[in-house]
Amino acid sequence: MLYSFSLRVLTLSIMWTGLGVLRSVDMLDSQFFFHAAVFSLLIIVGSAVELFLGYNGDNNLLPVVQTLLAIGLVFLVRINPSLAEDQFVWANLGLLVYYGILFWLKDYRKLGEYQYLWGLLALVLLLVTLVFGVTIQGATSWIRFGQIGFQPEELVKVALLLFMASYLAENRELLSVGTFQIGRFSLPDRKTLGPFALIGIFVLGLLAAQKSLGTALVFFLLMVFIIYMVTERLLYLILALPVIIITGTAGYFLFGHVRVRVATWLNPWVDSSGGGFQIAQALFAISGGRLLGTGLGNGIGAYQIPLAASDFIFAVIAEELGFVGAMAVICLFIIIVLRALAIGVKAVDRFGQILAAGIGILIGVEVLIILAGVTKLLPLTGLPLPWVSYGGSSMLSHFLLLGLLANISHSSSFSLSESALSKRAGVLS
Amino acid sequence: MTGIRKIALVLVFSFVFLSFGLVYWQVVQADAMLENPANRRAIFLEKRITRGGIYDRNGVVLAETKEIDGKKVRFYPQGEMFQPLLGYTSVQYGSAGLEAAQAETLLGLNDSSILRKIQDAFELERNGHDLILTLDSRLQEVAYQKLRGKAGAVVALNPQNGDVLVLVSQPSFDANRLEEDWEKITKQEGSPFLNHAFCQYPPGSIMKVVTSAALFQAGLDITDLYNCEGSTIVNGQTILEQNDKAHGWVNYDLALAYSCNTYFAEHGIKAGVESFLQAVEAFGFGKKIPFELYVPVSSITPDVPVPENLNLNLFAASTFGQGQVMVSPFHMALITAGVANKGRIMTPHLIDRVLDSNQNIKYESKPEVWLTPLSEEEAEKVKNGMILAVTEGTASPGAIPGVSIAAKTGSAEPGGNRSTHAWYIAFAPAEEPVIAVAVLVEHGGTGGGAAAPIAKAVIEKALELKEGGD
Repeated sequence: MLYSFSLRVLTLSIMWTGLGVLRSVDMLDSQFFFHAAVFSLLIIVGSAVELFLGYNGDNNLLPVVQTLLAIGLVFLVRINPSLAEDQFVWANLGLLVYYGILFWLKDYRKLGEYQYLWGLLALVLLLVTLVFGVTIQGATSWIRFGQIGFQPEELVKVALLLFMASYLAENRELLSVGTFQIGRFSLPDRKTLGPFALIGIFVLGLLAAQKSLGTALVFFLLMVFIIYMVTERLLYLILALPVIIITGTAGYFLFGHVRVRVATWLNPWVDSSGGGFQIAQALFAISGGRLLGTGLGNGIGAYQIPLAASDFIFAVIAEELGFVGAMAVICLFIIIVLRALAIGVKAVDRFGQILAAGIGILIGVEVLIILAGVTKLLPLTGLPLPWVSYGGSSMLSHFLLLGLLANISHSSSFSLSESALSKRAGVLS
Repeated sequence: MTGIRKIALVLVFSFVFLSFGLVYWQVVQADAMLENPANRRAIFLEKRITRGGIYDRNGVVLAETKEIDGKKVRFYPQGEMFQPLLGYTSVQYGSAGLEAAQAETLLGLNDSSILRKIQDAFELERNGHDLILTLDSRLQEVAYQKLRGKAGAVVALNPQNGDVLVLVSQPSFDANRLEEDWEKITKQEGSPFLNHAFCQYPPGSIMKVVTSAALFQAGLDITDLYNCEGSTIVNGQTILEQNDKAHGWVNYDLALAYSCNTYFAEHGIKAGVESFLQAVEAFGFGKKIPFELYVPVSSITPDVPVPENLNLNLFAASTFGQGQVMVSPFHMALITAGVANKGRIMTPHLIDRVLDSNQNIKYESKPEVWLTPLSEEEAEKVKNGMILAVTEGTASPGAIPGVSIAAKTGSAEPGGNRSTHAWYIAFAPAEEPVIAVAVLVEHGGTGGGAAAPIAKAVIEKALELKEGGD
């Protein structure tokens, strides 16, 4: 209890120090004291609620996410105060969603009963976006309800994970052994692989149609990694490689904007005031940060990089906190990913295992692609950094996933004694 | 599932691998990236360097940095009057204008003295260099007040040494309120951030001054009389006079004074495309203007500034400044100054002196000849035509009693169905010119109506200051 509470205090002290620094250089309006106070109160009350209701799951997950959240909020205040005001609201709502899932969802296993419904929900959400969505920055991934915009693809992440977990929990053996042979390889039959492949292809196809190429890449890697994890067959990983190469090449020759993006990626300096502006400015910012950073509020990236508050917030962090700060943020994400995978290992049922590990893989893949994008290892993709970037849809859906993780962790913690754990290992894996 | 452990390994290794990307940019490439010209990080040097001031030729403050509560604030006491020429410098919005072009000097970065090196090694606070401009704020104010509310530019030079005396562009903005007004300024009609003196427009009839050189150099007899019937047909295309007016029998002087299109088209063709292209090149078309700020290269055709050849119709239209001819008000002022200065165009200067913080002179401009498009006699001939334009012709709205002024009007068709750009170029006193002016009013109508009064006011003020013994 003391442990969990002191982690919250540490998180809050990081946020208040950041806000204090911004205040000292005159970059903080006084209304943020109110927002930050509400946020702090919510974190402390949440910690008390966990104690009161007897939360027995992973103790590190939420504090680490809250630290990322605090860093994100401080940087948003610094980059764009009006967006930061919204983000405080989203952060508070996200915490409420988290506790809601943790305590009101009595048994996460029930979610596994709706397997095809989750797959269908994912498709419907994407179809609705494609038909009714509005196009922002080239991608049709937004739906507007009056004033509020919403990105369904974030919710699709949740639905797709639930579908994959429930489906693979049921069909694991068939996928890993296979029923008919092609040469040396045995492949699963159409009935087993069919529904999974169908939904996978539709999801990726719809994302490609919306031109959300970054999200499509995340989903593809997510599916491949999850199948590999469940079946432990290298075949699926090997099969994935040519698929990426072929679709990538096809995309390059089919879509003009992909060609432009690749060209500016290969050489952003040629047109550093036009198409290459964003990546060039991001690299100027990152390289200007050097080892220890320019200090909070001293960078140019926050002004110069287009979309500094959402897709490129990591570049701003890397500039103002330097390599040290950027690595700290990466380490926090590594902790989250590894904790999620650990929860997966400990989960009592196969659905919980796959779901928890899947959430870990999703977050890991998202962060890796963003990291590769801002360091010019991959062409730009335009994904929000979970819990850090500005954006309500991403915030809420990631808190939803975090709630599920905590729920799985909580369930497994008291339904198994140590002896049962060792026994389970014999039965399940 | 042991698969989870393998996945965990794959993910963690990927994170480690991608972290090398950060090492690459933040450690290996950090210095190289700083030297990239698109990198705006240099603006942070201003934390410890106090940017030098900018002054007019008489020491009037145009821009200075003051320290208020320990923060450096850039002030532009003249408000909109010298914008967008001076430009701005802002962490948020970058920099523009003279502030951007002369940033190295204003920050004293191009100073390699030992003192400088010591200051830099210890990151000591220091001052940049001051710029003393050739501008005269008294003349600038007259031009600014007259042009206000319109879109366009006024450029005035001292034809004898190339000093830029006036450089007004409208609409403009107040750089003191840049951050607050940014949105408003960017959305405002007429592009306040754009220096209209360096924008290109079709010159219209003021081009005839340039065409004149072709006539002389081809050896045409300019005393010959020509009957202007109000229109002529060149290669199947009808060339009209302004308002279809027939000028009757005219010689060169009268043709220039009345701005007779058919005379210049027919005589231009007689002189030949080669002489014409030689003349435009001699006046600086197709050449980069040596100046402290970027001025776009004036051109006869959009693809090649000065082509090898022109088709007959385009050539005919070019002789009186239509067709595809594009020139900036700044270049037009230089051309005018060239006629005024006996055919020699002096290299233009905006910066008179650069002083370091101890008032040592770091740079001083010297008069130099840039181009010699006309001989002294040829310049005299053009001047006589321009004097006649003021006394008897289209340029008469710019006349000042008791002063001999040489001038030429232009009303350039911008294409589309919009009203013409109003041009007026002039220099005075004709016998010993102290000022050459080019005025452009976008869509202002006729040169005599919209542009001439502005040039007249500037010239009057300049002569008054001259009388005062300045």
